[in-house]
Amino acid sequence: MADPGAPRAAFAPWDRRELPGLFGVVEAARRIGAYRWIETRLFEALGGWVATVPELDVKLVLGRHCYHHAWHAELWTKRLPELREMNPDRLTEAPNDEVIAFVDALREPEAPELTIEKLVGVYRVLLPRKIAAYTFHRNATSRITDAPTIRSLDFALHDELEGWREGEMLLQSLIQTPEDVERAARRQQELESLILAAGGITGPGSLGEDTSQEVETP
Amino acid sequence: MKKILPVEELARDSRFVRREIQDAITDPRQAIVAERNTGTARLEPDRPAAGDRARQLMHGIFVGELQALEGAGRTAFDFDDVPFQLKLDMARQCWDESRHCEISVKLSEHMGTEIGEFAEATFLYEAACAPDALLRLTGVNRALEGLAIDVFNTMKEFGDSSGDPVLSACEDWMLADEVTHVKMGSDWLRRLTENDPERRERALEFQRTVDKLFSLGGFRGETDENPIQLARKFREMAGFSTVEIDELSEVSAEAQDEARAVATARGAAA
Repeated sequence: MADPGAPRAAFAPWDRRELPGLFGVVEAARRIGAYRWIETRLFEALGGWVATVPELDVKLVLGRHCYHHAWHAELWTKRLPELREMNPDRLTEAPNDEVIAFVDALREPEAPELTIEKLVGVYRVLLPRKIAAYTFHRNATSRITDAPTIRSLDFALHDELEGWREGEMLLQSLIQTPEDVERAARRQQELESLILAAGGITGPGSLGEDTSQEVETP
Repeated sequence: MKKILPVEELARDSRFVRREIQDAITDPRQAIVAERNTGTARLEPDRPAAGDRARQLMHGIFVGELQALEGAGRTAFDFDDVPFQLKLDMARQCWDESRHCEISVKLSEHMGTEIGEFAEATFLYEAACAPDALLRLTGVNRALEGLAIDVFNTMKEFGDSSGDPVLSACEDWMLADEVTHVKMGSDWLRRLTENDPERRERALEFQRTVDKLFSLGGFRGETDENPIQLARKFREMAGFSTVEIDELSEVSAEAQDEARAVATARGAAA
């Protein structure tokens, strides 16, 4: 048996976690405020849509996913005070006006015959964007200093990936004609254009792309 | 998407058939049925029509859960000026009601009925159309979910007495959730009206109105004439006082008398 009094390193040889991450406390809090804002807008919309979709299976899935995203919003509400933001509402905001325009467009469909438009917005545009931004955050932040955020991101990503798969399967079962394919593609294009203009769900730099050389488009 | 979705716009597939609950309660044939001495109206397995009545009740539970899901979802969406935690509670309720719908569909198949065999009355969702969030919480979480407690407890007992452990176990799971939902409504009523007793009284008045409607002309009560029995123990767990439950019992009896009088008058006029 090894001598219990012998000194050992704080990190086992297989533990390759490093300092620092790409984000400071302020930037982490800003991103998490944006996550809370968009998760809240999303769960509200899913809850509101339940009564407007006639397809029973879609109705029940929206009810379940409504809670998943509300829970993510709650996770971010709890994390913000740990990042020096004692009033979570202060940082809970859209990163720019373009993200607001995107979310307004996403939440707009209401009529019962617009289920494809509703689902495309959530499962083919927003969730892939969230999965990408959450994954970037998870990979870029320090696994030591920002471990609580990573733990929450892992929980959220699990739901996002499951939700994306379930939503995509619902869409594939609803898209039955060439006209449906066109509808879905048109809707995806509209919303992709809006989120592209926003720079992603946390604004420019959502995926860590360099924004220092950005030039104003004419 | 607009705020406040009226009941006429609830989205349904082609299997669902709607009817006005008032038409059923005041149907003149009810007076003729009431004249027959068929013994207790309670849901008991040795009655010849027990199977059909249980299947009809199961279908009613399913559409009730569907409307409770839709109501909770709309409350999460419709209000921008309510506490964040209240919205989270409504989202949680959405998930619970969604599961209850799934359970109800499975149980319906288990009991030998299917979606659309019986009509749907949408009065439950109507309580979720109130423009004030507090009224919705009293109307939906305390009145509607309170009715759900009574119904699930009755159905669970029916499962026990008819030797159906699947029915009994599933109803018990749903009952556990409903107690939580009613307690949620009781807690928010207290918190939102802590310094506003007038607002609390208005909300409770709305709840009394809804409770009378939800007594469905004698469907619920505490006598042998009522198929659904008030579940006093579970209501107490959910935050109802004994005085409140006594009042509800009286309201149910009033609703039964009124419905009987209207049905008799309609029968005489026919």
